[in-house]
Amino acid sequence: MTGIVGYGTYVPKYRLKLSEIAQVWGKDTAEIENGLRISEKAVPGFDEDSVTMAVEAAKKAIAMAGINPSSLQSVYFGSESHPYAVNPSSTTLGEYLGIGNNYFAADLEFACKAATAGMQITTGLIDSENIKYGLVVGSDTAQGKPHDALEYTAASAACAYILGNKETESIAKILEMSSFSSDTPDFWRRDGAKYPSHFGRFTGEPAYFTHVIQEGKNLLAKSKLVPKDFDYCVFHMPNGKFPRVVAKKLGFTPEQLAPSLTVDKIGNPYSASSLMGLASVLDSAKPKQKIFFVSYGSGAGSDGFIFETTKEILQKQKKTIPVLKQMEDKIYISYPQYLRQTHTI
Amino acid sequence: MITSPVKLWRRQKNTATLIGKKGKILQWTIIRVPAKSFMDQAPYPVVIVKMQNGENMIGQLVDWQKKDLIIGKEVVAVLRRLRTEHADDIIYYNIKFKPL
Amino acid sequence: MKISILGAHATKFGELWNVSPRALAKEAMENALKASGLKASQIDALFVGNMLSGILGNQANLGSLLVEELGAQVPAFRIEGACASGGLALHNAINSLKAGQYKTVLVLGIEKMTDHSQDEITNALMSAGSDEERLAGATFPGVYALMAQAYMQQYKVSEEDLACVSVKNHYHGTLNPKAQFQFPITIADVMRSAKIADPLKLLDCSPISDGAAAVVITSENIIKKNKKPIRIIASEVATDTLSLHDRKSFTSLSSVVEASTKAYKKAGLNPSDIDVAEIHDCFSISEAIATEDLGFSKKGEGARDIAKGKRTLFKGDIICNPSGGLKACGHPVGATGIKQIVELAEQLRGEAGKRQVEGARIGLAHNVGGSGTIAAIHILQK
Repeated sequence: MTGIVGYGTYVPKYRLKLSEIAQVWGKDTAEIENGLRISEKAVPGFDEDSVTMAVEAAKKAIAMAGINPSSLQSVYFGSESHPYAVNPSSTTLGEYLGIGNNYFAADLEFACKAATAGMQITTGLIDSENIKYGLVVGSDTAQGKPHDALEYTAASAACAYILGNKETESIAKILEMSSFSSDTPDFWRRDGAKYPSHFGRFTGEPAYFTHVIQEGKNLLAKSKLVPKDFDYCVFHMPNGKFPRVVAKKLGFTPEQLAPSLTVDKIGNPYSASSLMGLASVLDSAKPKQKIFFVSYGSGAGSDGFIFETTKEILQKQKKTIPVLKQMEDKIYISYPQYLRQTHTI
Repeated sequence: MITSPVKLWRRQKNTATLIGKKGKILQWTIIRVPAKSFMDQAPYPVVIVKMQNGENMIGQLVDWQKKDLIIGKEVVAVLRRLRTEHADDIIYYNIKFKPL
Repeated sequence: MKISILGAHATKFGELWNVSPRALAKEAMENALKASGLKASQIDALFVGNMLSGILGNQANLGSLLVEELGAQVPAFRIEGACASGGLALHNAINSLKAGQYKTVLVLGIEKMTDHSQDEITNALMSAGSDEERLAGATFPGVYALMAQAYMQQYKVSEEDLACVSVKNHYHGTLNPKAQFQFPITIADVMRSAKIADPLKLLDCSPISDGAAAVVITSENIIKKNKKPIRIIASEVATDTLSLHDRKSFTSLSSVVEASTKAYKKAGLNPSDIDVAEIHDCFSISEAIATEDLGFSKKGEGARDIAKGKRTLFKGDIICNPSGGLKACGHPVGATGIKQIVELAEQLRGEAGKRQVEGARIGLAHNVGGSGTIAAIHILQK
């Protein structure tokens, strides 16, 4: 059975407090923070992009998996901030990881769920015995237009997962997976546009909530499980409020959700958002625990997975820098500095 | 075009082997008046690093604070964008150093 | 074989907005010829020291261009060795005389920098460094700043001590009508000036300049014709690694030590025999280190000796940079190495006017390219 054999995360060092942004636009910080349930977001260095962050995360994943980089036979790179419009991030990543040349590779884009789609593809390749190990990366330097609502949440980070099917290597087996997809244009970015556009409250009910809830229901039906059978739940986190609301609607408790809520401290790093929540859960999970996971990508779709941890997780947890710890290693920057680092000025 | 894709391509294998290698700052300065292609990054530190294998390397220090600019400070080689290229240029990834 | 200087001339150094590179070269060559009492047709070959004409002016084939200005269609060579291009051209010219190929040649050093923007020049000057240095975002002041950091730490030298190099050279510049800067500065001025690369500040750095200098040298026995022959008694070149970081020491330039040791040996002289020296003070730190590598000061005492006045006109023992050096006289990079020779020739002939080093008999020119990647040392004798 295919499962996760290693994972790695990368949170860039810089943080911008929401109060800094609110102050610039004459907004009430408390109102913004209460509305979004976020107090600060992760900002990349001047010279970081999705590829450089992916290298950091993937190196850690390889180290945890304890495999030779050349054992990787696929690289699927999910992002909506690929450095190039044409020229693959996946092979640049492959080159700098030194995995050789014999691997499947593609760049994926599906708003914030591109990487979980990559996880499905990789699972398919492993289940069909085409490959033994595959790398999936979600990495984004998310863009938010100054003075747009997205500016408060659009953040940067990377997550990498290595999937495989050796019983003795898996830390979490994939018990189920499925998807819910539709054409719901709640958020988009045209070719050449620097910032994405969105349709305000339309991103909520018909978009995020419908897809996450429908996919959640699919997973529960498929697995014949109920929310209380799970130790954790993880959802895409466009802000701090949506995952809390959706967890409640699906019947999960705040305690099941809490370990995954990385959004509170780093914001929404798009393709890396739900996978960062999953990594945070895996950082502290015990063997034989079930994780309920639903991502969301605008446009729109949700990918659902049910994971079950194994006893291997305890050994491999020692080989990572926990997400919580990375989130605390930070330098606060001012709004003008943020504009500089994001090449806005 | 300021970067030759050919030169970049030739260097990639070597660059890849350096990522994650550690060393210590041997000497540092802060560049305040850079060449044009680095203008938007200045001021930035440039450090000479004694790598664990005994070789010296020179590179930019990133994610730094004033307290990191001391001789003997441990650093790790990371992959970063070299500079801000024009939109029709190739993106040059290169080794820089990050304080540990 | 004895090599003598027949004539020498340097143009005004500075921001010569209204002078073209051709005009600049012509002025230097014509006047050097006039001083030597020769016609262009009596020159066997032209050696040109220049660093940036290709990268900044898109002009390669510089030798052929400049023989047009010389007015005689002789063999011409452009020689490049970064900021040591001038010294290197002279060394090659001397070798051609020693080989017997030519008897009398003209050596020109020229650079026209102010036609180009500050960042084009910063970029172009970094062509003297290595790929690794350029990719690190290092600049030329940056590389020397790394040496300054190491030097200050190792020998407990202060930024104020280093500032004394620029203060001294500006003082000398006030006495040189051809200098780019002919005004004095204080230590406080240096300390207040804008930071370029820590710890170097604007007034620790030589300026961007235009200028040309030319000498006519010969292997013919000219003692009868020329009342005051100046001999070049040693001409040595040595190299070091392209990158600073590949070297064992950041506080000494082995190329300078090696070339000067050979030069002293050829000339049969000791450092203490030198009366006057033109030093390649592209940065204040460069002169401090140079005076040690050349054996004028003990290791670690170069900057302090300069601060004490030991290299200053009318009070020091070995006078350094009476012309004002690169800092005050200006640094048109390819011209500098030849301007140093012109200055020494004037000093040894006793024709240096207000900045005359009393009784100067032996002079040394120290011309460095890159971060000490190449050094050309010449010793001149009256």
